[in-house]
Amino acid sequence: MTTVPKVFSVKTTPKEILEKWYRLMTLGRAIDEKAPNYLKQAIGWSYHAPYAGHDGIQLAIGQTFEKEIDHIFLYYRDMLTALSCGMTAEEIILNGISKATDPTSGGRHMSNHFAKPDWHIHNVSSLTGNHTLHAVGVARAIKYYDEKAVAFSVQGESSLSEGYVYEAINGASKEKLPVIFCIQDNGYGISVPKKDQTANRKVANNFTGFKNLKIIHCNGKDVFDSMNAMYEAKRHALETGMPVMVQANCIRIHSHSNSDRHELYRSEAERNYVLDYDPLFKYKRMLIRYERFTVEELEKIENETKIQLKEAHKLALKAPDPDPNTYLDFVLPEPYQPQKYIDGTHQETGEKKKLITGLNETLKAEFRNNPDTFMWGQDMANKDKGGIFNVSKGLQQEFGPQRVFNAPIAEDFIVGTANGMSRYDEKIRIVIEGAEFADYFWPAMEQYVDSSHDYWRSNGQFTPNVTIRLASGGYIGGGLYHSQNIEGSLASIPGVRIVYPSFADDAAGLLRTAIRSRGMTMFMEPKALYNDPKAATVIPDDFEVPFGKARIRREGEDLVMITYGNTTHMCLEAAERLSKEGASVEVIDLRSLIPLDKETILNSVKRIGKVMVVHEDKVHSGFGAEITSMIMEEAFEYLDGPVKRIGSTFTPVGFHRSFERMILPNTEKIYNAAKDVLAY
Amino acid sequence: MSKTGIFYSFNSTKTAKAAEKIKEAFGPDFNIVPVNAEELTEELFLSFTNLILGVPTWFDGELPNYWDEFVPALEGLNLNGKTIAIFGLGNQVEYPENFGDAVGIMAELVQEIGAKLVGYTSAEGYEYESSKALVDSKFVGLILDQETQPRQSKERIANWVNDLKSQFSW
Ligand SMILES: Cc1cc2nc3c(=O)[nH]c(=O)nc-3n(C[C@H](O)[C@H](O)[C@H](O)COP(=O)(O)O)c2cc1C
Ligand SMILES: Cc1ncc(C[n+]2csc(CCOP(=O)(O)OP(=O)(O)O)c2C)c(N)n1
Ligand SMILES: [Mg+2]
Repeated sequence: MTTVPKVFSVKTTPKEILEKWYRLMTLGRAIDEKAPNYLKQAIGWSYHAPYAGHDGIQLAIGQTFEKEIDHIFLYYRDMLTALSCGMTAEEIILNGISKATDPTSGGRHMSNHFAKPDWHIHNVSSLTGNHTLHAVGVARAIKYYDEKAVAFSVQGESSLSEGYVYEAINGASKEKLPVIFCIQDNGYGISVPKKDQTANRKVANNFTGFKNLKIIHCNGKDVFDSMNAMYEAKRHALETGMPVMVQANCIRIHSHSNSDRHELYRSEAERNYVLDYDPLFKYKRMLIRYERFTVEELEKIENETKIQLKEAHKLALKAPDPDPNTYLDFVLPEPYQPQKYIDGTHQETGEKKKLITGLNETLKAEFRNNPDTFMWGQDMANKDKGGIFNVSKGLQQEFGPQRVFNAPIAEDFIVGTANGMSRYDEKIRIVIEGAEFADYFWPAMEQYVDSSHDYWRSNGQFTPNVTIRLASGGYIGGGLYHSQNIEGSLASIPGVRIVYPSFADDAAGLLRTAIRSRGMTMFMEPKALYNDPKAATVIPDDFEVPFGKARIRREGEDLVMITYGNTTHMCLEAAERLSKEGASVEVIDLRSLIPLDKETILNSVKRIGKVMVVHEDKVHSGFGAEITSMIMEEAFEYLDGPVKRIGSTFTPVGFHRSFERMILPNTEKIYNAAKDVLAY
Repeated sequence: MSKTGIFYSFNSTKTAKAAEKIKEAFGPDFNIVPVNAEELTEELFLSFTNLILGVPTWFDGELPNYWDEFVPALEGLNLNGKTIAIFGLGNQVEYPENFGDAVGIMAELVQEIGAKLVGYTSAEGYEYESSKALVDSKFVGLILDQETQPRQSKERIANWVNDLKSQFSW
């Protein structure tokens, strides 16, 4: 048990400080109580999770946060924390009623999600505990750049049941990062009592075995106990650079939110005793009992607070509503624009390099070019082994273990801490190996999806600058867990670019552009081609490929094959064979799926009229379905026949080579389908 | 005869009942004065030589507010010459990690400021995981569990009061 020094007490804390706290607490509660009225009057604030009962700890968290230096991630119940961090009543209401000037998101994100990114009060998801990984990620930057600061991850006790919260705490403990995990324990996750979450009544005690983690328990209903706990937590994190977990015992005085009715699951006795334990009244009683304030003095403050709230309310009501026509803004930031290779082609001659060499040399060049680049993943760097496929070979030796390092086997952690670290500074660029194989990326979907929203949800205030590399696809006899293509599943999620090169030069050029760009890019690597001579090309040292620019790898007149990745080579082989039979086939290598080069596709379709869409991923709901529909909608009258799709079957990819041959597309299947299409 | 006070919240239910049983167990020969812990002052507290404090545990190991709010005052007092015994309600089945913690918290507080603590009890017959009231394998007061062992309270009170009769100076 940690004993915490009593720095603050009702008898000794200076009166101005006690007064400031009382003002914040009465103002907070006045807004907390007023919020439901906005909904009743149909003004907004349809989601409100009242904080009453968490007053002590929320005040204390905000009071220990230093704006623009520390980083803080609040959760949906943190209204007083936000005020105590310095946000104004008006800002709180602007978020509540979704105004264009709402500092969180300009009305894009839910109400009761308070943020002010300029001050490092980050915009967070509604997904419970999701931001725990972001706090750990930003703390990694705090440590790397040697800043005297801490990261706060603030959340409810039930969120600690989530696996990724464990990943975050494990990471902070392993990397020795200055994160303060502030757990507000109100005994419930909506209607679920904490005994249904975990065996320990104090969930923080689940983590006592974690090295380097200090655990502090406090009474979150008591201002002084909470202040002392947070003060000690901050001191410890700053002085030692190590993580701290503060578990604050709170009560939830009201229902979970305005869509919950706690009478349905809490007894009348319980609803009454939580009222008796109201932290605001306790603080007030203490101020009076210990003669720090008179009743009249406190009433004066209460009245001033009411006026303050009225003013804030008036100003917020007058603020403009968001313009719904901006809905297409901030899906993805403008990418880096190639300076020299405007359309992503080159005429360079000389020695051919393998695709893997192209990736490795580009990574090295970009890491030399930008000192604020970082890379991590599983099996990324250990002595002479540089990644499972050697893509990262030599990088740790050259750039050091602070910039290139292994991550634990925790894919969500790999992605989530990348998001978090890139919040530290716009200049940072992160490359991660999202998983050892694309097949193992699914545990990271939680962070992937959430990161895809960041730019839109923050109204353009934050975008994770992250390139996610994934070794993808089959033809290596790898079976179900080493052969998947996942781009079809990912392509329906807005906010991330997806690229899938099939030649060494395009791989190098797209990787350079991805690393130099703002925003997230999913970089799919056809692992069967890493060392394949057919994918080897000449690569200019400074090659760049813009996003959304396809490359016609072979020109033709009778049939166009639209493809990417492994199947580009199969299409080229089929085209070669067909040319010997007198048919002229064009092959378009898309290179980028999102954004998609519709112009190049439609130009060829309109000129040629016979079309095949070929990829390795499943035909069923694969990305080809999107391309095909787009062609139908935009060039139907130019078609000489139906668009033919070739891809893998709607099954997993089996291990025995004979299964692979049945399931995956190959040159033969493409050739046969082409004959049918040409016959129209 | 020295003044003996029994301090507990008059608004409480189970603690108040237990306090009445304790007073009864002393019998008519002993003058035990009930004091409302909701309205404590330093003077009132100091006006007794023997004090029996009723301190139930709330919220996973916390003092109830009426005691917690008195702590800053308590910390400023000198209890040399006072003899104090503590009883507390708790629930070992629902709160086994913090069973009767408040008794332990209060015991430590009053001892730090000079009080003589009496009324230690055996921890046998209870089933729990940890308790701040457990010091050197004894409870530093009487813990009553009206919720899961209501039938044992009568005997526990009787034994405890017998012990106090010899421990307090009358
Ligand atoms: C919210 C709550 C938390 C409690 N926490 C504890 C605890 O940590 N340890 C314990 O032994 N008993 C605990 N209890 C049980 C109480 O001590 C028990 O109900 C007691 O009878 C209350 O006495 P009172 O109603 O006179 O205050 C808790 C009860 C409630 C309602
Ligand atoms: C991943 C996820 N699952 C479910 C929900 C729905 N949900 C919203 S709040 C909540 C309870 C969280 O409880 P706790 O962490 O204890 O915080 P509290 O609301 O009690 O302050 C749940 C399950 C969610 N937001 N995110
Ligand atoms: Mg909760």
